[in-house]
Amino acid sequence: MTKSSEDSPSRRTFMTVVIGLISAVIGVAVAIPILGEILSPLFKKRDIVWAELGKIDDLKKIEPLTPKFVPVYFRVKEGWTINTLPRQVVVVKDITGKLYFFSNQCTHLGCPLHWIAARQKFLCPCHGGMFNVLGKVVGGPPPRPLYQWVHKVNSGKVLIQNKFIDNPKDRGI
Amino acid sequence: MFKKIQEWFDERIGLTELINEFNGERIPARGGWAYTFGSLLAFLFIIQVVTGMFLLFYYVPYFPMARNSTYFLKHHVLMGNIVLGIHLWGAFTMIFILLVHMSRVYFSGSYKKPREMQWVAGMVLFSVVVILGLTGYMLVGNENSWWTINVLDNVASHVPLIGGFIRILVKGGTETSVLTMQHIFAIHVWLLPIVVIMFIPIHIFLVRKTGEQGMALEYKNSKLPDDDVNKWKHADATVPFFPDQLFKDMIVALGVFAVIYFLAVYYGAAIGPMYRPLALNFAPEADWYFLANEELLKYFPGHGLIIFSTFLVPSLGFAILFALPFIDRGHERSPFKRPAATVLGILFLLLLVYLTLIGGEPKAPATV
Ligand code: FES
Repeated sequence: MTKSSEDSPSRRTFMTVVIGLISAVIGVAVAIPILGEILSPLFKKRDIVWAELGKIDDLKKIEPLTPKFVPVYFRVKEGWTINTLPRQVVVVKDITGKLYFFSNQCTHLGCPLHWIAARQKFLCPCHGGMFNVLGKVVGGPPPRPLYQWVHKVNSGKVLIQNKFIDNPKDRGI
Repeated sequence: MFKKIQEWFDERIGLTELINEFNGERIPARGGWAYTFGSLLAFLFIIQVVTGMFLLFYYVPYFPMARNSTYFLKHHVLMGNIVLGIHLWGAFTMIFILLVHMSRVYFSGSYKKPREMQWVAGMVLFSVVVILGLTGYMLVGNENSWWTINVLDNVASHVPLIGGFIRILVKGGTETSVLTMQHIFAIHVWLLPIVVIMFIPIHIFLVRKTGEQGMALEYKNSKLPDDDVNKWKHADATVPFFPDQLFKDMIVALGVFAVIYFLAVYYGAAIGPMYRPLALNFAPEADWYFLANEELLKYFPGHGLIIFSTFLVPSLGFAILFALPFIDRGHERSPFKRPAATVLGILFLLLLVYLTLIGGEPKAPATV
């Protein structure tokens, strides 16, 4: 015959411990796979692809110090789908003829920048960040100059990668 | 007939006793109307759950489709606009009433011993409801949703050490895309509501456990000093919850619901344009309850300070609010006997209103 907990305090302790252990085992057994499911995105690499922007000769013809907004379309794997991510590339030519490929996302928290021609500045509609045409911060809260897309020139065509130069935390995008 | 049914149940489950137990709670008599906000919030939450459930009959949490399914619901489903409108205006009202309820509790010192845990449970509810609001804003799938997701993800990425991970986890991936919407959806319709459904009973249970504990004006006749726990257990006069207090609760509920209904039918829920990541002249806007926080983001420029506005100030603010009953341990409850707390509270509310007002000003740079 099993004794009831009222007969013996040690029996009571034993039962309490077993109840606790069973709960703990079941809890952990359920929690581990759930945690795996939640953390899963951390183990997936970002899908990095190239997308075509246009001919380098055409881009070289743009006005100096006047940004030109050119859309690119990245085809990336995400979850169970392949998605098209449309993004703006802001092409700027400086006075020496060098081309820059900026992102139009503010480096503060990522809002879309407006180019104000009359003031020769990019303004951010969210918290008033300001950048000059070459991407330097000239006002407001942004902590760093504009992001630049990773790019290369291949047989006369400019290719853009869905990645920013010098952006260790992958912010923006 | 009714008597018979009642007797049948009483014999088996003691129904009458149960009902009397729930309804018989005695409430301090003088503050009647000031005590209606709590039940009003419970009522509003029920409205949110019911309308939300039936929005799910049409809604699709898939980024390109989310906005169109919401649009369909509003324009092509019979009276869908009303259900959607009630859900939106009900949410706004809920957040607003939450602030009122919290202010009432704060100024009347009702969070003090023995009600500390109740304030903490209430703060959990408050935090969850605000996140419910934000995620709801994202689920519409319009232009603002898209940018809100991105901006808030970037805010999250500024948490020290683990920020980058948090951003990926809430997005459910590296891009703002299908999985992001799916995650936000799961959080908004299931995870957080469950938390609320668990914490409302805890919040109410604790009220019953600690007893009356009304506002200072309930105890004018008491000779006991403020720091005597017995003083707060015996109000000068009390009334039973049913029907006296519930009567007031229902009148307030009806009034507020009428306003929500009017706003839902008359103004409805604006759905806005489809998101366009390529937009060149779009100025994202936060919901009104987030404007104060948004305004804060403007004041900490540069690399070294960004963490103040994205992480330190908000989390410190929340921590202080959570710990309020453990910080302010004085025994005085009347707002007039603890001027420091009252003045601080008023200043904080004024600051909140001020930040919200200037945060709401149009921010799009003039295109000259
Ligand atoms: S996102 Fe541009 S200033 Fe904050």
